[in-house]
Amino acid sequence: MTGLRKRVTVGFLSIVCLLFFSGMVSFLELSHLSRDTGDILEANRRNISLAKEMLDAAHEQNVALIHYSVFGDRSYDSLCRASQERLENMLSIAQHEAVDKSFLDSLAFATTELRLLTDSYLAFADVERDSLALDRGETAGSRWYNNEYEALYVRLTAAIKNYMTSTQSSLAPRAEQMKKNAYRAVTPVLISLVVMIAIVLMLYYFMSIYCVHPIVRMNKGLGDFLTFRIPFTVKGELKDEVLELKEKIDTLIALSKQTKF
Amino acid sequence: MRVDVVLRYVGIVMLFIAAFLLLSAGISYFNNMDSAFYPLLLSALLTTLLGIFPLIFVERQEQLTTKEGFCIVVGAWLLACVVGMFPYLIWGGEFSLINAWFESVSGFTTTGATVLNDIESLPRGLLFWRMATTWIGGIGVVMFVLVILPSMGRNKLTLTNVELSTLAKDNYRYRTQTIVRILLGVYVGLTAVSMLLLKLAGMNWFDALCHAMSVSATSGFSTKNASIAYFNSPAIEWVLIFSMMAAGLHFGLIFATVTGRRNNLFRSEVARWYFGMLFFCGFSIAVSLFAADLYPTFSAAFRGGLFQFVSLFTTTGFATADTNQWTSFAIVLLLFGSLVCACAGSTSGGLKINRLILSLKMIRARLSQQQHPNAIIRIRLDGAIQDREALYSVPVFIVTYLLLILIGTVFGTMLDVDLMTSFSGSIASMGNVGPGFGAVGSMDNFSALPAAFKLSNSLLMLFGRLEIFGLIQLFFIKWWR
Repeated sequence: MTGLRKRVTVGFLSIVCLLFFSGMVSFLELSHLSRDTGDILEANRRNISLAKEMLDAAHEQNVALIHYSVFGDRSYDSLCRASQERLENMLSIAQHEAVDKSFLDSLAFATTELRLLTDSYLAFADVERDSLALDRGETAGSRWYNNEYEALYVRLTAAIKNYMTSTQSSLAPRAEQMKKNAYRAVTPVLISLVVMIAIVLMLYYFMSIYCVHPIVRMNKGLGDFLTFRIPFTVKGELKDEVLELKEKIDTLIALSKQTKF
Repeated sequence: MRVDVVLRYVGIVMLFIAAFLLLSAGISYFNNMDSAFYPLLLSALLTTLLGIFPLIFVERQEQLTTKEGFCIVVGAWLLACVVGMFPYLIWGGEFSLINAWFESVSGFTTTGATVLNDIESLPRGLLFWRMATTWIGGIGVVMFVLVILPSMGRNKLTLTNVELSTLAKDNYRYRTQTIVRILLGVYVGLTAVSMLLLKLAGMNWFDALCHAMSVSATSGFSTKNASIAYFNSPAIEWVLIFSMMAAGLHFGLIFATVTGRRNNLFRSEVARWYFGMLFFCGFSIAVSLFAADLYPTFSAAFRGGLFQFVSLFTTTGFATADTNQWTSFAIVLLLFGSLVCACAGSTSGGLKINRLILSLKMIRARLSQQQHPNAIIRIRLDGAIQDREALYSVPVFIVTYLLLILIGTVFGTMLDVDLMTSFSGSIASMGNVGPGFGAVGSMDNFSALPAAFKLSNSLLMLFGRLEIFGLIQLFFIKWWR
């Protein structure tokens, strides 16, 4: 491939490349943006689900402890421990998954505090004596529940609720970041378009001066020669196939002058 | 005028800029592929495409006209500023369209003014690109290409004539190719020496490289928010004082001195004026600062005063102190330094000390002419008799220069920018100095100022860098026969 054809092909290939390039960039950036949006929504859903699980586990532990401490039912010991373990598992999952761990500090503190209190109660409380004393009114267990446990339980549920709401409020900066990402997704495409416009204008200009204008001038020169017998001349610089065409027309005219019909 | 030929040569400059963009992307890649990698790579690809396109269509031309030369040089500068803002725009952060344009123009024109509040948050690749723009601009975007391209025949002379002022070529007695090589040799040498000295003074390699590129180009871009004050190191300050002084000298003089030729630094009248003014003004500022109790010791006042004066006089713009807090006398001297600036033939901007000396000699000649009406008085500079053409251009340049500053100041005040900020900002932009006073002081930046003021100042930077008439010619190119 030589001359004019090569130049035009390379010119158009550049434009195609640029189109493909800007398309790919916008596709990649928009996929990135879409993935970010999906991640935020998934994190949000997961956060609500974890908070619900924690609240359920805390409630279950609370019910088990009421049975254990107030009514002296020792069978709730295992349920109490299981729900406490479930709560801690949920917390460790949240800690593992959370991007901003600062919201979990107070929750982890409240959970540990409650666990220490519950563990010491489960280990040392004289539940049987308490159950016998139940008929006589207030027991040591119910006193412990009312005076010590309940306050910590309320603090724990408040911390879980706070975790749920505060992670929601952390969405604002992430949404702001997404706004920036959207700007970043659009800018390369816009710049590519500007460059493409410049290249298209250049291609138009080069095609005009190297291809269209010479052919128009040659056409006019040939017309003038055929109509008015004005010698065939083409002004301006010619190159490649257009120059060859002009030379061939010159030869043809010279031949036609030599041949007598 | 052959627009296609102009496009071809501007395209070559674009390819050269694309190579630096690629280099910056490389730095970004080796810095754990920081967030500037893709913006720099994308910009490099786009710039390459933009540069290579005219080369496909237009063949090499043997002869360029002066008009075409002007269009190539001015076009290359303007387009360099446009492609220079691509990585900033794609990266985002503090860079809006106006901010990216301002930062790019400030870089290429070696002004060193910034719109960034947090420079340190930029990734290394982008920091290096900022320095690269300033380093390319220091010697001139077209000059670099002239050195690299093996043969451009007479075109080299045409383009050099446009890119280098007559004053800048004064000290050279060589062929164009040799002049261009000397310029680049001194420039690269100065950068390498500054980098090594800064490393020895305590900077890390990256900061040393960036500051060396910045100081050789007399730009003043820093990798730190507090500029040189961040390092709080007298050794670094003295190294930079030395480097700034060297970068403000005529490169031909440095070459002659290093190679032991006759027309060296010690014989130069311009160099004597240059060093005389530096030390006199630096010392005067130090006395003023010490008397006002702004520094505990005179040596600290001298270091601070000299650093700041050298910084503004050589149009570098580094800062070690908040000059807004200095005495009025010191501020006036610093403004004077920002106006006059260093020697022709260096990387600095401004009026140039050569024009100041010629003006003073013309005043003296005028007085002598009035006393002796029939006398033929010749004006010499560095022993060479100045022709009528050269002398005529001096007052024209100075008047146009001051007029543009006045227009910039009036425009700034129209936008409700205070007089000091507007005036000193216009002086600093026109002289490619960088910091001014008021809201654009040595510890402040242009970020809070109106967008129109940023645009007008970026235009002043371009006027200053292209020695005014280069850019003005572009507006009258249609009538140029």
